[in-house]
Formats: sequence, structure tokens, C-alpha cells
Amino acid sequence: MAVDNIDLQVPSGKIFGFLGPNGAGKTTTMKLLTTLIPPTGGQMNILGIDAIKSPLEVRKKIGVVLQQPSYEPTLSVEKALDKYGMMWNVEKNIRKDRVEELLVAFDLVDIRKKKNDDLSIGQRRRVQVAREFMHDMELLFLDEPTVGLDPSARRGLLDFIKGKVKDGLTIFFTTHILEEAEYLCDDIAIINKGKIIAVDTPGELKNKFGKEKTIKIHISEQKDISSLLAGIPECTIEHDSGVIITVRSSHSEQVLQDILKILASNDMAVEDLSVVPTSLEEIFLSVVKNSNA
Amino acid sequence: MHEIIRLVNRNLTISLNMGFVIWQIIFPLIYIFVAGFAYTALIHQVPFGNKTLDYPAFIATGMIGFNIMNSTLISGIIIWNDRRHGMFEQILVGPFTRAQYIVSNVYTIGIIGLVSAAMITAVGYPLFFKQVEFNILTVPLVIFASITGSILFGSIASIISTRLKSSEGFNVIINTVFLFFAFVSTAFYPAQGAPPILSTAFYFNPLTYLVDVVRAGIFGYFNSLVATEMIILGVGAVILFVIATKLLSKLEM
Repeated sequence: MAVDNIDLQVPSGKIFGFLGPNGAGKTTTMKLLTTLIPPTGGQMNILGIDAIKSPLEVRKKIGVVLQQPSYEPTLSVEKALDKYGMMWNVEKNIRKDRVEELLVAFDLVDIRKKKNDDLSIGQRRRVQVAREFMHDMELLFLDEPTVGLDPSARRGLLDFIKGKVKDGLTIFFTTHILEEAEYLCDDIAIINKGKIIAVDTPGELKNKFGKEKTIKIHISEQKDISSLLAGIPECTIEHDSGVIITVRSSHSEQVLQDILKILASNDMAVEDLSVVPTSLEEIFLSVVKNSNA
Repeated sequence: MHEIIRLVNRNLTISLNMGFVIWQIIFPLIYIFVAGFAYTALIHQVPFGNKTLDYPAFIATGMIGFNIMNSTLISGIIIWNDRRHGMFEQILVGPFTRAQYIVSNVYTIGIIGLVSAAMITAVGYPLFFKQVEFNILTVPLVIFASITGSILFGSIASIISTRLKSSEGFNVIINTVFLFFAFVSTAFYPAQGAPPILSTAFYFNPLTYLVDVVRAGIFGYFNSLVATEMIILGVGAVILFVIATKLLSKLEM
């Protein structure tokens, strides 16, 4: 996927989320930023270095976990970590300490002697991500690092990343899992068809694109109340089973009061009620849908 | 530590596993001691230049060239393995240039080729020591053959690694290439006794030139044919190395 006119500024010491549907241009952008492929035009300044003129200087200061698996099949987990550190010219005594630290942090102690070829996909992914922390860096690119990880390993990884950011690391993070982006990212950019269609903090994206809230009302008796609620402005009944009504509105407080009044005046008891703010996933879907239109 | 040294260190670590070392020692030993003595009844003596060699001495020196080819074909597929396991891209997003990656592979192949040659020379020495004739050309010829042969066969493996995408295709091609190189050559038997078509085919095989130059060094025999074979070997290595480097530098991510 070609990317066009991408204009991104990633603040230092933050986690920048880069989201987009399949084939939107995320991996191409990642390859450009990590200098794997050169751009056909434009400017690219990474950590104050002209990345087009001096790609090697950039690569010396960044870490990259690519989307595709990468491993040395014949090496054990601990040897793979150590050799990777050696490739980055990390001193032997520092490597030794880091290997131990990462084996613990990524729950690899029990499989430290196992060869990479004998690991499960999730274990291999953990080694791949852990390996990148063997060397010092200022900026880390993570391309869907949690693919193949179980929920506990995923949460462990996200928390480890958060800890590193507190120590001053900047992270450029792509994912398909919107909860991860919401949990982790300080800023988010959404890309579609090779163009950036939204950039902001998760909170601001919600304010801009997620004013609508979902109200779920569980009533005690089965009645069609669509006609009763028809007169409420800016309210869409998404679902009415006669027992559960799901309503979407950008004026949720007012709409909720109106609905409760109508239900009370018709002697209908409310058993349960919840108001759900729009999730990042819904915002993502809506922004991408609008961009496709 | 320089980037290339770090990459060579890594290449040697991933290549030199126990299986590889055993393969590199056991396989030629079987040929030298089993085939060497078993075939002595059939092939008593082999003419070589102005000498006649015992068959065990002939095959032991052939195994030096054979082992260089075998080991460098295997180590030449580092690129294939790196591509297959995602390490090619991972290395190139690290603190290395593509040129450093290429040079490190050449060094790795050269080191493995030289060590293989030294290993088989040491193992086979008792068989050919009576006929060894050291002179001023002996060591340079063997080293020349080891280095150019390593680069040549390493380049062939690299070219195959960059062109193929499927594991099945890669295995078929490598095995076919290996069989042709190994058995359509003067490594195991002399060209003189073979049918004319086969003996001609021997000279379309770089292993024949490599083995002939190694034997020329060890048995101290040098003439214009050996010089021509050295030129062909050297030119072939340079051409294939340039092709391999170009293909590798254009390899898309």
C-alpha cells in the first residue's frame, strides 16, 4: 500500500498509536520510518536526524519490533537475547544482567534453554519483543507486538512498555486491538487508504467523534415502546426486543430523562439501566467509514 | 567491535551447531576411509600430472575441495534462513548497512571454507603424506583454491537464496545443484577413465577446478592447465560474487 502526504509529529517520551484497517498503509509507514524502504519524496526527520540522508544514524538510535516473526531457530532463548545484544555492541557484563532481567520480565525463565525453533508462536513473540530491550534506544517502533500473546502476557507487555516510557523512551505503536491503544497511547493517528484521517489524544478523538452515547434500558414487561419514544429528538432506537431497548444519542442526559418520564407515565418499571460512552473502536469504525465514503 | 565482526560472530554462532560440525567431519571421513579403501580394488592408481596417486590419496585430496563446497553451500544459505525467519529485515533495521551484511556473509563463508579445508587436510594427511611434495606454490595454491572456491559456492547459494521464495523449491534446487557438483566432478574419480560426455561435463563444474587446484598444491604439480583452471576459478568466483551482491542489494523488503 502506498502512503501519501503523511504528516506526523511524535512527541518525545510518549506512546504514539498508529491505527488503521488492513492494507491502510501502517506497515509501509513503519518501513519508511525505520528506513527499510526509502520514500519517493518529502522529508523525514527522526530524533533530529534527516532519515533520508542518514538512515544508518537513525537506525543506531531506534529499536524495531517488526510485525513478522524474526528469530534464530538454532539458538536458545537466552543465547538469542545475548547474541542480539552483542550485535548491538552491548558490553558482555551489561548483556548478562539484561538477559536475566528480560527473562524474568517476559516470563521466559522456564524456557531459557529451549531453542527458538521449539517455542510456541506466543513464546517466540515474547522473545522477539524482549530481545529489542537488550540495547539502549531513544525511540522504539512496535508493529503489532501483542499478536499471538495470551491476555496475561499481553497485559504484562503493555505494562512493561509503560514502565519504559516513564524512563523516557518514546514509542511508535501500531495495533489492531483498540483496547490496547486506549490503554497505552498518549496520542493516536488513524490512517486509511494511505492517508492520515485523524490525529489526536484518545480523549480528544472521543470528544470530536464520539459524542453519541449508548443507553441500554431493561424493562420488566414485554411491550413495543418504539411508538412511545418516537417523539424524542436526536434519539435513535437501535434495538427493541420489547424487554431491552438500546438507544443512541448525542444528548444522552436529556434523552435519558425524557425516556424515564415516558416509561413512568405508562406505568412501566425499569429493571436495569446503563449508559455506555462511545469506545475508541466505535470511533475508529466511524472515522474509517466516513473516510471511505 | 566493528559491525562486520559482530555480524560474522553472529553468523558463525548460528551456523556452527553440532549437526553442522558432525556433518562436516563424518561425511567426508566416510568417503575418505570407506569409499577410499573400498574402491582401491577397482581403481588402483590415478595418474595426476607427472605422478601416479593411490586412490585413497586421490579421494582424500578431492574431499578437501568437496568439503569446501559442502560447507560454503550450507553457510551460503544464511541469507535464505535469514529471509525465511525474518532476520534479514530485522538486521537491516538495526545498526548495519546492506553492504556490511553482504561482506559479513562473504567473510563467514570464507572462514568456514578455510576451516573445512584445514580440517580435512589434517584428517586426510596420513593418506597422502607420502606423495605430498611441498614447494613454494603448495600453500598459496591451496589457500587460493579455498578462498575462491568458498566465494564461488557461497555466491551460488546466495543467488539461489535471493531468487527463490518457497522452501520446497529451494530444497529441490540446492539438492540438485549439490548432486551435480559433487558427482559430476573429479572429486571422487579421475576424468580420464570416464565416458567422453561425462568427462567433458566435469569441466562445466567449478568443483573440478577447485579440486584440481587443491591437488596441484598438495602434490606440487603446476602447469599451464592448472594456471588456466585457477583463472577460470577466480573469474567465475568474481562474476558470481558480483551477481550475488547485486541481487542481494536489490532484494526488496
